[in-house]
Amino acid sequence: EDAERISSADVAVVEARRRLLNEWYDWLEQMEEELAEEREALGLPADPVAALLEQKMAEVAPDGEEQVIE
Amino acid sequence: MRPILLAGHERALTQIKLVPPPFLPFPQEGTVNFVGWYNREGDLLFSTAKDQHICAWFAHNGERLGTYQGHQGAIWTVDVDPTSTIIASGSADNTIRLWEIKTGKLLKTWDFPTAVKRVEFNEDGTRLLGVTEKRMGHLGTIVVLDIKLDVNAEQSDEKVMTIVCDESKATVAGWSYLSKYIIAGHEDGSVSQYDGKTGDLYYNFPAHELNQQITDLQWNQDRTYFITASKDKTAKLISAKDLEVMKTYPADTPLNSATITPKKDFVILGGGQAAMDVTTTSARQGKFEARFYHKIFEDEIGRVRGHFGPLNTVAADPTGKGYASGGEDGYVRVHQFDKGYFDFVYEVERERQNRLAAQGH
Repeated sequence: EDAERISSADVAVVEARRRLLNEWYDWLEQMEEELAEEREALGLPADPVAALLEQKMAEVAPDGEEQVIE
Repeated sequence: MRPILLAGHERALTQIKLVPPPFLPFPQEGTVNFVGWYNREGDLLFSTAKDQHICAWFAHNGERLGTYQGHQGAIWTVDVDPTSTIIASGSADNTIRLWEIKTGKLLKTWDFPTAVKRVEFNEDGTRLLGVTEKRMGHLGTIVVLDIKLDVNAEQSDEKVMTIVCDESKATVAGWSYLSKYIIAGHEDGSVSQYDGKTGDLYYNFPAHELNQQITDLQWNQDRTYFITASKDKTAKLISAKDLEVMKTYPADTPLNSATITPKKDFVILGGGQAAMDVTTTSARQGKFEARFYHKIFEDEIGRVRGHFGPLNTVAADPTGKGYASGGEDGYVRVHQFDKGYFDFVYEVERERQNRLAAQGH
């Protein structure tokens, strides 16, 4: 009987965690979607930092060749 | 793995920033202050303290790259632009300064009537905000400066915007995604959301206990949510869009700093009471430990000790490989996570991973 009680408590904990996990990722997904839409609407690149780095790289090596440093 | 101890400051640490290495190979001429710059392996770590220089280090081996000299007072804050070209710093000498990372050259100084407690670049490095201190006839403000991410460009003297905090001074502030909002944490424990362009206050609410100062505010990677640390012994995870408190992490000591780890759903909190404020005599009196919590479940999952005084600042490595802490004891401790850290998952997290894998994600 004790074992049963313990296992049902465990099940409740696991259920609660599953719910928290799903809620979190639902929120995250929705937020990411919203952000992607806003960026697109503003004509901005999807990843602001990656875009900056590309731009900077193009200034330094306009031919697109990477410099190899020994 | 054993942490790396960085002993480059003579005074208490104030802020740490970990950034990916500069992506560009630097020319050799002019790099007088630095050695080993061609090593593109490790992350860079910038640290500020109540002494008067900023330190730059390689996070993976603790080698010091150099220092940035010029401030005439305690340095409270440092930030690095998204391309790792320029750093900004704020000091008790009432200035914000810009420095070229690779040469240590001072590029620009802005003067203010009071100390600068926090600086932060926005996501594309075109703007910098600074939080100025309240003192004798000066209200606390959040100022915004235009930045040109070019070490040869002339930086503008003009402030683009000034937000005056007449209710309670801001202690920390930062830029949300798209630079849409400026979010500030205040001395009275409240959090504010301002329009990033006009500075209009949209919303202010008591996120933490009344008059328990907010001591830190750090973002997740895309700046859609942030974590606050407070003297009320809690940290909170808050959405930038509507300031909804999504998670609360209770600790047993006043907190000075909190950071969100990429890759794993954890947060790291740092704090502890200074010896002179401790009235008990228990062995753990100061509680000088970094505390790990599960970001989603809010459970405390581990602690890391090592500092001899309160942790003033914690920073997660943006690549998810480790973290660093800076203490009142004057040391920076850099930790690389081991396998156990990455293997640690809750059963329900494993379930989800398996489900996603089965769906081909």
